[in-house]
Amino acid sequence: MTKKITYGGAYVPEMLWDTLRKLTAEFEGAKKDANFQNEFQNLLRNFSGRPTPLIFAERATKDLGGAKVYLKNEGANHTGAHKITHCLGQGLLARRLGKRMLIAETGAGQHGVATATVAAKLGLECVVFMGSEDIRRQRPNVFLMERLGTKVVPVEYGSKTLKDAVNEALKFWMEHLDEAHYCIGSVLGPAPYPEMNRYFQSVIGREIRSELMERENKLPDAVVACVGGGSNAMGSFYDFIADASVKLIGVEAGGIGKKIGEHSSRKIAGELGIFQGYKSLFLQTEEGQIAPTHSISAGLDYPGVGPELADLYTNGRVELTYATDAEAVSAVDYFAKLEGVISALESAHALAEVRKIAPKMSRDSIVVATLSGRGDKDLFNFARAFKDESFRDFLKDEYNRYE
Amino acid sequence: MNNLEKLFAGKKGGLFMAHMIAGCPTMEESEKVAEALVKGGADIIELQIPFSDPMADGPAIAVASEEAIKGGATVAKSLALLEKVARLGKPVAVMTYLNIPFRYGISKFVTKIAKTGASALIVPDCPFDTEEGRELLTACKETQVYLIPVVSPGVPKERLEQLATDASGFVYCTSRQGITGANSKFAKELVDFVKELKEIFKLPIAVGFGVKSKEDVAELAKVADIVIAGSFFIHVIKTSSPGSVEKSLKSLIS
Repeated sequence: MTKKITYGGAYVPEMLWDTLRKLTAEFEGAKKDANFQNEFQNLLRNFSGRPTPLIFAERATKDLGGAKVYLKNEGANHTGAHKITHCLGQGLLARRLGKRMLIAETGAGQHGVATATVAAKLGLECVVFMGSEDIRRQRPNVFLMERLGTKVVPVEYGSKTLKDAVNEALKFWMEHLDEAHYCIGSVLGPAPYPEMNRYFQSVIGREIRSELMERENKLPDAVVACVGGGSNAMGSFYDFIADASVKLIGVEAGGIGKKIGEHSSRKIAGELGIFQGYKSLFLQTEEGQIAPTHSISAGLDYPGVGPELADLYTNGRVELTYATDAEAVSAVDYFAKLEGVISALESAHALAEVRKIAPKMSRDSIVVATLSGRGDKDLFNFARAFKDESFRDFLKDEYNRYE
Repeated sequence: MNNLEKLFAGKKGGLFMAHMIAGCPTMEESEKVAEALVKGGADIIELQIPFSDPMADGPAIAVASEEAIKGGATVAKSLALLEKVARLGKPVAVMTYLNIPFRYGISKFVTKIAKTGASALIVPDCPFDTEEGRELLTACKETQVYLIPVVSPGVPKERLEQLATDASGFVYCTSRQGITGANSKFAKELVDFVKELKEIFKLPIAVGFGVKSKEDVAELAKVADIVIAGSFFIHVIKTSSPGSVEKSLKSLIS
């Protein structure tokens, strides 16, 4: 008999012990505190713009010829993605804890922009760590964060991407424990972060359920979400875990190949490990060095997956699969043309899976895909992926206008 | 008898622990670094097995670890180096991050370093009260390797008391709420904190992080039993050569 694996935990230096204990206590208290709930709900509704729409993808449904396809449009949130939800939750907790600063890591810049936005809204200082490689790729978001009054700190070592930004944010946090709250951007890191961010994000699944009940008077047959760390996936899945008839499908970044360094899929090569404070499945070498990853979408370009999601995958409740870079780009185009929705490249991985499974499902079945973010931020990446000549000319002209 | 136990039996304070990374600047030269540290007067060698993402270390050690791994510093080679370093006659404390022993097999890893001559093990991202922390403690007890707690000012008394029930060897104390190498201004609460540690743990207290000068060492030696310097030597290796480590160390502790 194999030993039951306990995912998660808090594998951190002792100097974080007290901080995490206080955060856990504050989180537990806030869950039961009507004032906190009112404030959180108010911000979700009147700042972020919840509930987000559930779009019936009618033309795509017809074209795919199988299940009815719905898109849960988290891109309709303020700042363009689901990330703002857990940032608002954590921002309120930070204020209750008497912190005056939010720290965050960011890959694509989405979580960074969301944290910067919440910090500005709540009157907190904000420092965001970002790999210098990502800064190079995602300049527009760096610009936005700076406009929001946030200090963006480049991380110049390691792979100079998301995982290094997490390392640097953790270190900065350890030097500023009294005044700063580390607003981790996914359902990962040491306890209580995975549970806490999932708690805030679970509004996605509850809305899917009530919106679908209102429209179809039934549960979905499948819920599909992209998985980097897993925040939009856990948010979408959590409310359906007990409903055995609902298939839960997480779609990882298949990148450009199956070799280490060519993808970010734990389904392909994830092994049990302990990293950045939690036990889960990681892309790593035989000896336990964290491996390089690749994805066209910076938000999925990360070696680890949230511990609750790893647990659900291991015990068979959640299915993991992957979509390649090319499939993701193609899915953006498909849903843009058919549904008037330009998806973020991250979310497009879920859309790519819908194109694969919907035709195989019966016409009376329903698949819901979470559109975790809108595609505005990927403007430059899309233009490059589609080899758009006119956009290149525009950039040249724009450059000249600067001189 | 554990080599550290012998050391502590003979000399209670005024000890110096020098840190090095396996594979920095290269695997071959690492051995020379260790020899230089011993000749330069180190009482204990802290040998770090490089991990790709060293959470508790500053950029200097993070970059050096990354370069060491790129240069071929595998765990197997690091353990082979450990054997050579241990033969130099000074007690060796192995430092690494939890994923390394976790992937190797915790009990197997501890047995291996014990056989290879390590006297202590430092795993800064593994609290004692986790599943793996318990496994480490059990394996260390069986092989007479000290599992060293890493603490810093700000860790509450109740937590220190919990850790003290399992601690052995010495206590590794960071001199500020921070990371290695970034700043040599020692936390002002350090003096009181070390006193508290001595009362609670009843073990020698090693204090490190940020030592850059003779003055730093002298200042720390007033409160600590063991002074630790780490990124200082990485800097020396990078700016001059492994050979100059001996001289630099002498200038630090003479």
